[in-house]
Amino acid sequence: MGEDQKVKRPLCEKELLDPKGRNGVFVKLIVTAFIISIISELIGRKSFSIGIGNIVLLPMLYAVIMGILVTPDILGKKIKSLSKLVSREEVELASPFVMLALLPLGVKYGTLVGPNIVKVVQAGPAFLLQELGNLGTIFVGLPIALLLGMKREAVGATVSICREPCLGVIGEKYGISSPEGTGTLGTYLMGTVFGTIFFGILGSISVATGLHPLALAMAGGMGSGSMMTAASGSLAAAVPEMSEQILAYAATSNMLTGVTGLYSTVFLGIPLVNFLYRKLEPILGRGGRK
Amino acid sequence: MALDKEKLFNQLKILIVVGMMVLVAQRVGYGISITAAIPGMIMVIGIAIFALFIRALTPNLQFPAFAWASLTALILSMPFMPTSRIFLQYTNQVNFLGTTAPILAFAGISVGNKIEQLKKLSWKVVIVAICVFTGTYFGSAIISHIILKMQGII
Repeated sequence: MGEDQKVKRPLCEKELLDPKGRNGVFVKLIVTAFIISIISELIGRKSFSIGIGNIVLLPMLYAVIMGILVTPDILGKKIKSLSKLVSREEVELASPFVMLALLPLGVKYGTLVGPNIVKVVQAGPAFLLQELGNLGTIFVGLPIALLLGMKREAVGATVSICREPCLGVIGEKYGISSPEGTGTLGTYLMGTVFGTIFFGILGSISVATGLHPLALAMAGGMGSGSMMTAASGSLAAAVPEMSEQILAYAATSNMLTGVTGLYSTVFLGIPLVNFLYRKLEPILGRGGRK
Repeated sequence: MALDKEKLFNQLKILIVVGMMVLVAQRVGYGISITAAIPGMIMVIGIAIFALFIRALTPNLQFPAFAWASLTALILSMPFMPTSRIFLQYTNQVNFLGTTAPILAFAGISVGNKIEQLKKLSWKVVIVAICVFTGTYFGSAIISHIILKMQGII
């Protein structure tokens, strides 16, 4: 980000959203996303049993997969005409579009919580305490990361599910090119690319664990609008008789994580992951440290 | 803080386009009449732009526009609010899942510039990330299951 790169610097959000002289980019992006949405809706919901439970596949899942496929580095590489339709410019513009397209969904979530507000308030203690469950990233992730031979990267990769606020905190504390930063960036990238696909499948199949659908619904609120939607959407499709309450619980929990997530990473996550790293690394870590 | 009207106006234009995409997508996917859904969609877009407005006014508050949109709709739809009946009657014509396909189509496209970075990640990160996702999900689910049970809600 040096001064000399000013000419080639990426557009800021405000400039990205300005259609002046860039109408073509807007039209191509919108047409592509529109076609993908329609194809996804035409395929429709598919559900099938895999023995331990049901997997429900929703149109949003096909949409994200098709979206990834049409980008320049995947199919665009092979099909030249496609790379003209979806080039780097359209990819760049898609980011602020996601934020805006999420807002109508945010409104819909509000309309699901509002009528259920009494039930939601009654479940208040559960909502607050389950936020601590987000530290599960450390308890499950850190030992595995150490067994795989990761060093300080493990701290960054498992401190939370590494959405944007966490990226900011870790970047500030350790520097984004530090080992910790590299780890956080890794989990962040995985979540960005595969998060909705992963939770879209986990949401419906997790019913098989015997955990109550409402408890699973709360768990789906992780501070990421799209991951929460994937998890709760497929969970609601798998347990249709509770679908409204599931979506209401998930949305509430997600709002709460939006508020608490950052503080929980700073005051609980980072101290805990460092403490456990010191305790566990000598036992689980592989010798020959760098 | 000076409000950036130009940016807000451009955001509104995009919201209208997204709204039209949702109207067609939910016609195809769920058979909801486009004309019947238009009033509800206008309300939805109105709240969305209000959320962007509030977000722009409160740059230091780490509360995203998405959450403002939910919170506003939540308040308008609470049972004891005079707005709730009419608001829900119209917004019910906007299907929850119908709004999701366009979002995720954009989301899929937007990760296109991360593929090369992703290829550089080691397989270890892939496994660890899966454990991290599973950990937060079941960590929260187990705690809420226990508390809801203790409260007698489930």
